[in-house]
Amino acid sequence: MTAPAAPATPLMQRRWVVWAVAAIVVVVLAVLPLVLPEFANQTLARVGVFAVAVLGLNVVMGYTGQVSLGQIFFVGLGAYVTAFGVNADWNIVLVFALACLIPAVAGLLVALAAARLGGLAIAMVTIALPIVGVPLAKRLSDLTGGSQGTSARFSDAPEWSGLYDDQWQLYLVILIGGITFLLTRNLVRGKYGRAFAIVKGNQAVAASMGVSPYRYKVLAFTIASLIGGVSGFLYMVVIQYTSPETLSFGHSIELLAAMVIGGAGSIVGSILGGAWYVLVPQITNIIDPNITAVLQGAILLIVLFILPGGLVSLPRLFRRRRAAAPRAGAASDAPDVPIETPRERHQS
Amino acid sequence: MGTFIQLIVDGLSTGSVYAALALAIVLVNQATGLINFAQGGMAVLSAYIAWALNGVGLPLIVAIVAAVAISFVLGAVIERFLVRRFERGDPDTAVVVTVGLLTLITGVCAWIWTYNNRQFPSLFPLDTVSIAGAVVSLRSLGTIVVIVVIMLVLQALFLGTKLGLALRAVAVNPASAAFSGIPVGRHLMIGWGLAASLGAVAGVLVAPQLTLTPGMMDSALVYALAAVILGGLTSPLGVVVAAWLIGVLENLAAVYVPFIGHDLKIAVPFILIFVVLIIRPQGLFGRRSVVRV
Repeated sequence: MTAPAAPATPLMQRRWVVWAVAAIVVVVLAVLPLVLPEFANQTLARVGVFAVAVLGLNVVMGYTGQVSLGQIFFVGLGAYVTAFGVNADWNIVLVFALACLIPAVAGLLVALAAARLGGLAIAMVTIALPIVGVPLAKRLSDLTGGSQGTSARFSDAPEWSGLYDDQWQLYLVILIGGITFLLTRNLVRGKYGRAFAIVKGNQAVAASMGVSPYRYKVLAFTIASLIGGVSGFLYMVVIQYTSPETLSFGHSIELLAAMVIGGAGSIVGSILGGAWYVLVPQITNIIDPNITAVLQGAILLIVLFILPGGLVSLPRLFRRRRAAAPRAGAASDAPDVPIETPRERHQS
Repeated sequence: MGTFIQLIVDGLSTGSVYAALALAIVLVNQATGLINFAQGGMAVLSAYIAWALNGVGLPLIVAIVAAVAISFVLGAVIERFLVRRFERGDPDTAVVVTVGLLTLITGVCAWIWTYNNRQFPSLFPLDTVSIAGAVVSLRSLGTIVVIVVIMLVLQALFLGTKLGLALRAVAVNPASAAFSGIPVGRHLMIGWGLAASLGAVAGVLVAPQLTLTPGMMDSALVYALAAVILGGLTSPLGVVVAAWLIGVLENLAAVYVPFIGHDLKIAVPFILIFVVLIIRPQGLFGRRSVVRV
């Protein structure tokens, strides 16, 4: 798939422009935490946390076409591993490695079973993860602190940096999240990304081309779980507290909605999705807390109706309109059209 | 021994509720190729409708029948105006639509009736009978009987009536069905309506046990999905048997396996699924399908 992220104007395709934009982004990200007020920094850090979570969901769903309703479970697992490791006084690098590794292994085990059934089986199995996860987290209270949850403070700004806590935390999110985004971007644009796209497009074709749908579905799910673990680590960096509520079913649905609304199969869409996840509940709560759920469900359906590509497809939509006016019918933006997946029925 | 029998009957009873929801999911899947994650939410809405009608003075049984009828219309309307647009497109988008629908319907229930628990009257007397030394509630037995009757009626509908034949034709091959003069769209609406009615039955059967709340069916939906995976998407009978198996096993595990207990028994169907999926990827009763490029 082409990257829906980069606008397709000729100017943006030149190499030096790309580097210049990248440099500007880096400078802005480096300066921003220093100048913004504390509340804005905290909000941005939260957006970063959930942008990484949405990115993971995008790997398995947006790029590989496997619906996962359990991504929040891996975020929560990563957060719990981090909290446990920090409270046990382990080296923070080791804690981070475990916070990535343990969710990845859990994801691998789930996918090994779920990916054997095609179509929507992964969705049907993963819906169980948050629903089993909440009572499990309460039950294993020695490890998780039970219903009260557990907190871990390890992300306060160190003395030598001279930064406030919120600035230091935002830098950590930008650094770790940024690296995760870069690595994922390279992954989905390279050889694995092409394999994912073929599996998403048509599994039978993929199999006939020698691309094992099973192997790539399991791989995508494992990577998504790993990225979920990274997000869980960042969650503890920013929020410093986790409880069974973190991995509840409702949050899992919100994460899915955020991914679709941001834009499935898109790097920029993941960031928009993270922003959506954090900001929109705050806005709907201001309007009327009683109808928050109604509003969110309705907004999701409306977006699916009028903007199936998510927010990230908005500029493309305008551009196509403009382009369509002078040279009617010219299919210049054709590569951006998502691959139509043939319906997979009687898949069992 | 008495406890054992009682656990089995209770397990069959809760399993029957999962079966009703699972049958609704299979019905929609067979007609449209979708998994409707909103099925549980729709069932909750139906239960609230029955509760509200009962609250304004209708006798319980009349309120329930009315709720089942209203649910049929609601299901058909949802299919026609919301789901149809996504039916032939990307299945992932369609799934997200049903998830959005779940959020919306749960939100509507919470908005109208709040998150407070409501006491839903039981359709069956709360008496118990003694079977082979076990104390078994009439409610459990009644639930089982209702589901068995529904299963038989569905079976008769699908195999013995013209409508059933048309529904099956639409499910197997919509294009050919249209060529033979079957109005495909109308039958898709009927399929969704029937599924919503089935969900309504599940809703009113489970509501007295759990007390009525907007999130009441979330875990029942998970069990139903587990039954669907285990039974295989193509086999209504398999789904019902799988639902019963899940209901009985989780009840036994809750009592006889100390670590699982009552709060973790929802993990039981998934342990079962893992074991089955490794051995039989098409489910216990499903058929293996061949995909052509």
